[in-house]
Amino acid sequence: MIKCIDLHKSYSLTHGTKRVLEGITMSINKGEKVGLLGRNGAGKTTLVKLIAGVELPTSGKVIRKMSISWPLGFGGGFQGALTGYDNARFIARIYGRNYLEIRDFVEDFSELGSQLKSPVRVYSSGMKARLAFALSLAIEFDCYLIDEVILVGDQNFQQKCHEELFVKRSDRALILASHSLPIIDSYCNKALVISEGKGHMFEDLAEAEAIYAAL
Amino acid sequence: MVREVSTRFGRENIGFLWIMVEPLLFAGLVALMWQFMKGSEEHGISVVTFTITGYIPLVLFRQSVSRSVLLFRVNAGLMYHRQIKILDFVFVRFLLEFIGHMMAYFFIAVALYAFGIFPEPYDLGFILLGWLYYSYFTLAVSFVLAPLSEMSETIEKLTPVATYLMIPFSGTFNMMSWIAPGARDILLYSPPVHGMEMMRYGVFGPKLTVYYDFFYPLLFSSVMLAVGLFLCRRVRRTLAVE
Repeated sequence: MIKCIDLHKSYSLTHGTKRVLEGITMSINKGEKVGLLGRNGAGKTTLVKLIAGVELPTSGKVIRKMSISWPLGFGGGFQGALTGYDNARFIARIYGRNYLEIRDFVEDFSELGSQLKSPVRVYSSGMKARLAFALSLAIEFDCYLIDEVILVGDQNFQQKCHEELFVKRSDRALILASHSLPIIDSYCNKALVISEGKGHMFEDLAEAEAIYAAL
Repeated sequence: MVREVSTRFGRENIGFLWIMVEPLLFAGLVALMWQFMKGSEEHGISVVTFTITGYIPLVLFRQSVSRSVLLFRVNAGLMYHRQIKILDFVFVRFLLEFIGHMMAYFFIAVALYAFGIFPEPYDLGFILLGWLYYSYFTLAVSFVLAPLSEMSETIEKLTPVATYLMIPFSGTFNMMSWIAPGARDILLYSPPVHGMEMMRYGVFGPKLTVYYDFFYPLLFSSVMLAVGLFLCRRVRRTLAVE
């Protein structure tokens, strides 16, 4: 289970502070697929970063009772100067997994072939997405944090992700940040609509979408 | 865990050896220059040895400190993984420099010893102790500067100048016994001087009069380290990660 308790996040800028989140409380149980709906700049990404622990909240608390992936799809998590293999080795080490198993899975899933020997810096965003997905699936998290941009790969890759994440790992939780209704519809069974720093959880997707459309 | 990160940094460089070769070249060339300027002996000790024993620790200090500037921003990508703490960044960077410079020191000492320029060390333990004192101070400075440089641009820009100004306060080119007692008292407030004097004593032995204190530099560096850790905590709260 993951619990967010009254999360606030503000950034100090040269001209005052920008408040992004102003009190978000939510909880996610094992196996729940939650969509984060919000317009650009509403704070979806910020919330994901707080849940992941990449950034720390200004006030409030995140309680993590299951393993959570690093945020996928925001471009972070890799060292650009290192090759795909080296990144895999690094991630295997810090998550305490066997490198050889991870490597085999990554080779198989990402289909990047010899590209894995070049530095991640020269990868296209699609290739980075493949690598990130492959690595996080290989590590086996209880909860995946995903930005929708990563799901817009080619047909074959989408199919694979769907298969791995929703068929083979249907018991895992998922937090998906998106502003696209069809994507939320096809992947999630709950949605948190974020607007003006507050979040409202809807069990009923249709209701969430109606609210979101009215924003 | 820290070691894992360090192997990764090792791969980042073309070869780990560079980290040793760089201070080696630096110290070697400066030593040659001094040799030409001052002749081979001064105050009864070899100029080359004196320069090298002073210069390599100084390069360690300057490298470590300048590399700690904006360290968190540079490594922001790694913060996507929760098990990596910002303290690791500072520590790993420092450790790498430390090992590299120790190796350089050792290597050059052995090489010069073979040519009969470097004296047989009087007390290896003192050299090591001096290194540790000097390095501990360096680490403490890195821990303070890494978060401060994130907080203030002025500090970030001033750091190179400040490390340059550190030279007279580091004991690199002067033994405490060579300078006037008044100036000496002031310089002894600077912790790296103590470490440097210990190292020199370890190399040259009792033919040099050295001034050091065991307690003061430890206290100074520890307080600084504590401040640094506190600042790191504070800066972590507001750190924005792309």
